[in-house]
Amino acid sequence: MTRLVSAELLKLRSTRTALALIGSVVGLVVLIGLIASITADFKRDDVRTVDLLGIAGFAQVFALILGILAVTTEFRHGTITPTLTVGPDRVRLVLAKLVAHVLAGLLLGILAVGLTTAIVLIVLSSRGIDTGLTNGDVAGVVVGLVLATGLWAALGVGLGALVRNQVGAIVGALGWALLVENLLTIIPTVGDWVQKYGLNGATNALSHVESEQTGDVLSQAAGGALLLLYTTAFVIAGTLAMRRRDITS
Amino acid sequence: MGVSAIDIDHLTKRYGETVAVDDLSFKVEPGRLVGFLGPNGAGKTTTLRALLGLIRPTDGTATVEGSPFGDLADPAHTVGAVLDGGMLHPSRSGRNHLRMLARAAAVPNSRVDELLKLVDLADAADRRAGGYSLGMRQRLGLAAALLGDPRVLVLDEPANGLDPQGIRWLRDFLRSMAAQGRAVLVSSHVLAEVAQTADEVVVIARGRSVAQAPLKELLATSGGGMRVAGPDAGRVAELLRGTGAAVDAASDGAIVVRDRSGEDIGVLVAEHRLVISELSPISSSLEEIFFQLTGDPGTVA
Repeated sequence: MTRLVSAELLKLRSTRTALALIGSVVGLVVLIGLIASITADFKRDDVRTVDLLGIAGFAQVFALILGILAVTTEFRHGTITPTLTVGPDRVRLVLAKLVAHVLAGLLLGILAVGLTTAIVLIVLSSRGIDTGLTNGDVAGVVVGLVLATGLWAALGVGLGALVRNQVGAIVGALGWALLVENLLTIIPTVGDWVQKYGLNGATNALSHVESEQTGDVLSQAAGGALLLLYTTAFVIAGTLAMRRRDITS
Repeated sequence: MGVSAIDIDHLTKRYGETVAVDDLSFKVEPGRLVGFLGPNGAGKTTTLRALLGLIRPTDGTATVEGSPFGDLADPAHTVGAVLDGGMLHPSRSGRNHLRMLARAAAVPNSRVDELLKLVDLADAADRRAGGYSLGMRQRLGLAAALLGDPRVLVLDEPANGLDPQGIRWLRDFLRSMAAQGRAVLVSSHVLAEVAQTADEVVVIARGRSVAQAPLKELLATSGGGMRVAGPDAGRVAELLRGTGAAVDAASDGAIVVRDRSGEDIGVLVAEHRLVISELSPISSSLEEIFFQLTGDPGTVA
């Protein structure tokens, strides 16, 4: 298993895709973090320091894409065939990809959250603004965001294994997370459910970035458990699909 | 006799209504180089994919050293395979392509460097594989197949994209692999590529085996026959037909005998004290035999 994980980590490092995704996250987080913390107007009630830390949540979408690419790239370029001829156990292959990409997702999360936290705290203190954050608040958000990023990477691995088609998986996942869930919140009652128990709701609860503002939010632990449940469901479905599938590409 | 290196046993694969492989059986023994021939779409790749556990047979089995590929204790050191050249991530270097496979197979990086030299890719190894020619991709695929120094080699159309020198190199190479006691199964849709090297050939068409024999036998039984000309040619034809031979009349009064050797005809001529002016084998190219067997003249390559 260690061998397979090591092979997956080498696959990640040996193309420019992962590097480009990490670079994009760093660039976005630094840019938006700086702009937001320089221009934030704390005299208005609805802006809170915690929301600024939430900027690091960008990393989750990129971790999701990275995870989706784990399996779909192998199908797109046909490398799945040599991969399976050196190690035919498909369940172990998906698990190795899962481990490698959760590690990459966590790294991405640490990078994004670390940079955001540093930028926000430094800029605000140089503006002479009291963040009003305890160390405990910051730690909760940091850990939550990092874990959420790792879980989104895992979700991507499961989804990619299930769907196999690269464009379809990415469009579907981003469409759901960024568009469909937001549209669903318009519907009465159902909207409240989606907001609380949807992918974004669970993620926000885990990240602890929406504690008092929206009122009805799961606790951090419950949000984490729900996100873990979604992820596990996709990983199991993806693994089962991989086991059955005829590999013809 | 022990288990065969490769054993395809009544293999059938259907995709919905389409039958890709239809009750196909053949074996490859260690030390033998077997050509797996058929026109494009005959079911060669499907058979090889079933052998490598990539697709699930509808019926029958395909085993390596007696086990399904997925059950082998150490697959990378048992079977090396190249299916459809060019399975590379375009932005990964050739060296990293081999290294990632080597890691999964517990093969050291030194073996990767060794193989890159063997297939003459050492200079291009650190370039992005997207820029490789088809021939380079084939050679990289071959290096990947050899990572675990396997006892069984399965190669799908390995000569595609190779120049004449490359094809010659490949032939010698495959010959040496078989001479070392390895079982080698090479598919091709071009008979001549494999003909000079293979110990025997399996010819399939539309998923079914149409011939399976050493090449010489195939040439003898499916060759162009013997041409007999001369004053008594007609009498020879009569006598041969009397023994059940297939005899055709040629346009110039000569005859063509399909299934008797030159010696058989010579004996007959001597026994009956006949006069003929010509007794010669009609050379039939390998391709003609191939088309005759597969009934598919549409894939001349």
